[in-house]
Order: sequence, then C-alpha cells, then structure tokens
Amino acid sequence: MIETRSLVKVFRGRRWTVEALRGVDFTAPRGSITALVGPNGAGKTTLLKVISTLILPTSGEAYVDGMDVVSRAKDVRRVIGLVTVSDRLLYYRLSGVDNLTFYGMLYGMPTSYARARARDLLELVGLGEWGEEPVMHYSTGMMRRLAIARALMHDPDVILLDEPTLGIDAASSRRIHRLLGELSSGRTIVLTSHLMKEVEELAGSIYVMRAGRIVARGTAEEIKAMVGRIVEAGLKPEAVDEGLLKFVVRSEPGLVIVRAPEDIIPESAVYVRDVEPTLEDAYVILAGEGGADLRPYQFRRGGAHAHGGHV
Amino acid sequence: MGVMSKLYAYLYLRGFKVWISYRTQAALTMLSWVLPVFTYYFTGTALGNKLVSGLGTGNYTSFMVIGLAFQGYVSSTIATVSQRLRNEQLYGTLEYYVLSPSGILGFLVYSSIWGFALNSINAAVILAVGAALGVRFSPSGILVSSVILALLLLSTFGIAAMSGAVVMVTKQGNPISFFFSTFTTLMGGVVFPVTILPPYLRYVSYAIPLTWALEGLRGALLYGEGIAQLLPVVAVLAAFAGVTVPLGLFSYRVAFDRARRDGTLSQY
Repeated sequence: MIETRSLVKVFRGRRWTVEALRGVDFTAPRGSITALVGPNGAGKTTLLKVISTLILPTSGEAYVDGMDVVSRAKDVRRVIGLVTVSDRLLYYRLSGVDNLTFYGMLYGMPTSYARARARDLLELVGLGEWGEEPVMHYSTGMMRRLAIARALMHDPDVILLDEPTLGIDAASSRRIHRLLGELSSGRTIVLTSHLMKEVEELAGSIYVMRAGRIVARGTAEEIKAMVGRIVEAGLKPEAVDEGLLKFVVRSEPGLVIVRAPEDIIPESAVYVRDVEPTLEDAYVILAGEGGADLRPYQFRRGGAHAHGGHV
Repeated sequence: MGVMSKLYAYLYLRGFKVWISYRTQAALTMLSWVLPVFTYYFTGTALGNKLVSGLGTGNYTSFMVIGLAFQGYVSSTIATVSQRLRNEQLYGTLEYYVLSPSGILGFLVYSSIWGFALNSINAAVILAVGAALGVRFSPSGILVSSVILALLLLSTFGIAAMSGAVVMVTKQGNPISFFFSTFTTLMGGVVFPVTILPPYLRYVSYAIPLTWALEGLRGALLYGEGIAQLLPVVAVLAAFAGVTVPLGLFSYRVAFDRARRDGTLSQY
C-alpha cells in the first residue's frame, strides 16, 4: 500500500522555482491498479519518483507498505519495481536474458537463479523466444515489456509504471494491459497514463492531477459523475474560441464537433444534444491543460523566495 | 557469493560483453595500448639512448615502458567511472542502480574494478612488448610493486569518486577528469622525468599520485629496490589514499543526495 500526506516538492533553480507537488494526499491500496492522470507537468512523474525514493520531498509524508520513503529509503527500494519513461532504459548490446540477469544480480541473486528467473519473466511478458537476441533488435513494444520484466526481477510488492504503453502499438498495449491485470493480484500497482481508455480498463481508482494538486479522485464512474451534464455540439469553425479548443473531438466539413459542459456552448451552435460523459470528457474538464507552475524568483537580501508561491 | 555475482555482472556482462560487442573499437583500443611503446622506443633510439638517459631516465626504453604500462590505471579508470555515469544518465539506467541494494557505491566500486581490470590487460601487454624490446624486469621487485600498485589504485579510486561527483553536478565538463587524465601523462613522469620540468610545474607533478607510484615501480621492477628503500614512496601514496578515498566517497554521496533533492538524477 502507498500513502502520501500533504506531500510537497519544490524544485529550485537559479532564476525559477517549480512547485511540482502542492500538498498531495494519495492512497494506492494493495490488490488493485491505481492510475494517475493529468497534463504534462501536472506532477505525476514527480509523485512516482518521490514514492520510489529517487526524489526527496520538500515536506509532507510518503509511505510504502508503512515505511517512510525518506528515513527508510533502502527498505522501500527493496519492495518497489519501477518502470520509468525513457528512450532506452536497457543495455542494447546485451540480450534480454543478460539484461535481466544483470539487474537480478544487482539485487544479490546468484547467477544461475537470476538467469532462470530472467527466462521465466521473459516467458511471462511474451518474449521467451527473444531472450537470447540483443535488445537492439527489439521493437519499442518489446523493450517496454522487457523493462516491465526487469521491474519484476526481485518480485516487488509495489510496481510503479510511468506511461507503460507510451509510443507502442495497440496489440502490444493489450498484452501489457493483460499482464498488469495478472500482476495486480496481491500487489500495489500505480501507473500514469494519458490514455483514458487504458485507465478506465485497468484502474480501480483514478487520481486526476493538475498543477501539482489532486483535483479529483474516485472510480471511473465517480469521476464521470463529477462533471455533471455534458453535451455534444456542432459549431461553425469561426465560433470555436480559445476556451473551446480543448473540447474539440473531431471536425466535419464546415463543422467542428465539441463535447463540453452546456454552459460554455455558444448560442450560435448548429446543434446541441445530450451525451453520456466519457472519462476523457471528465478528464479534459477536470485536468484542463494546467501543467507545472513555473514562477520567477524574486531576489532579495538573504536569499530568494518564490513570487507569490507557498513554498 | 554476492561479490562474485556482482563481479560477474559488472565485469563480464556489462563490462566485457558490451566492450567486445564493439569489435572495431576493441581492436583499436588494443592497438592504442601498443603503439605508444613503439613511438617512444623509436624516439629514444632516434635521439640516441645515451642523450636521453643523460636526463636521468637510466635506460630510456625501460623508463617509458613502466610509465606507459601504469599511467593508464589513473587516466583510464577516472575516465571510465565518469564516462560510465554519464552513459547511464543518457541510457536512463542510473536510477535503477540507485534503487538496487547494490546502490551507487556498488556502481562506483565495480565500475572502477572494470577500469582496473581493463588496464591490467593493457599493462601486461605493454610490459610484454617492453620485454620483447629488451627491458629486463627484476622479479624481486614484484611484491613491493604490488603494494605500490594497490596504493595507486586506492588513491585513483578516490579521485574517480570525486570525478563521478563532478559529473553528477555538471553533467558535462569535468575538470578533475581533465586534470588527472591529461596532466598525468604530461606531468606524472610517464615518458620523461619530472626533474626536467620547470620548478613550479615540478611541484604540481608531486601532487599527482602517479608521479610517486612510477618512481617506486621503476625502483622495484627495474632495479629490484625493496620496501626499505621505497618506504618514502609507499608513505606518500598511503597519504594520498588516506585523503582521496574519504574525500571522494564523501563528495560522491553529497552529489547523489543533491541530485535526489534537485530531481536531476536522470538529467544529462
């Protein structure tokens, strides 16, 4: 189980400060998948990295299986498996088996055990036949699966995945979804994603983040219910102003289709009809486009402080 | 078992298997070990060994063979650790070392051992080429030279840790690596004696562990000097190790803590 209370993380540069997390209360129970969604810069990755001990929080508390991520960082690291977002993450010149064996041995596994476990996990993620091939011959989807297998090498209770299906095809995504579903039994899994269909399919509970804060939490149905009445409207292109752009779902000849709360639809709409809100509708309304809050520093004698921030 | 499996992981899997997979690079590296020996051999021959020996080198071929064989331990190991850290940042794998029980200290120790291992092959090849060129080594000096080499490796490990700390902060541009990699060849008494340097540069050369180590290694391996004669060298090297290792480990730890605080572990 993961729990954070009033978690704050402020990054400070010479001329800027970013409040990446602003008092985040977050809980991810064992035995299910919890999703973090939000626009780029909302603080999802920072939250995952604080939980995984890779980033120190500025204030607040975070616990993994009851262990404080700051004072018991070493113990926390033993129970978590992490999959980060990166173009590489693996040693391309080594085979899949060698990559996993290497990481297993960093966890103190004897060679023969690490190799056997590597082969078992490659089977689990559907890469059994590719085990001896150098990773540079793998597709992006295969590499993502191998990265997940690596996170499982030491059989962690908690698995943290940052956009596990980023940039991979539908078939590979489905394979990963099935795998995560199997893994969630008895484990705590937290993932971040921008794909609302994926989130709805996998996650038992969803946290919506915006500018370092949790702005909504609940099941997919509960989050959809939060946004109330939604309409689909057909608008002339000239009627679509800046505020409506994020609600555009498609275009037709001479018509732009939006899904949005009724009160922001202009009277010039060609048609308006009630629709059932999807998770994506709710996400767009709740999360908006609010990314990180970058503020200039105001320099003064004795140090710098954030302009108007509550650091 | 833990140490052996980590040696297998770092030296064989991540070290040798990746290194040898770049076959052209591996071949060129081996060539680069041998070529300087011939370059300086013919330089010494062309200038006349008597003239060069008059600078205080004794037999010049013996002098430069010892210098070239052991200077790589310093420059290459320091470069290996800082380059390794930088590569792991680029690959996005550095965070996984931080997460593993082996940790960042394991990363530093075993990456250094890979650098030492590769340079031991380098040294063996150069010493063998030297023997073929007529250099005669004193078997009685092997024990003392092992002590001197161990102390050189220890102080090099400390400097490599400091170099790694700098990489964690600056990402690119590493004055410690630059100083100890480039300057050791110039000022460590590798291919010419430090006595020919201007006085102020000679003092700088005494701040380099390699200068002392080469003096001791030449004394032991070429002239069979024992521990009693080389005690001053051993003492200076022990002092270097006593300073560089704690300072290196401290700065390395501080740099990683700072990266965790600033969220820059995976930045490059």
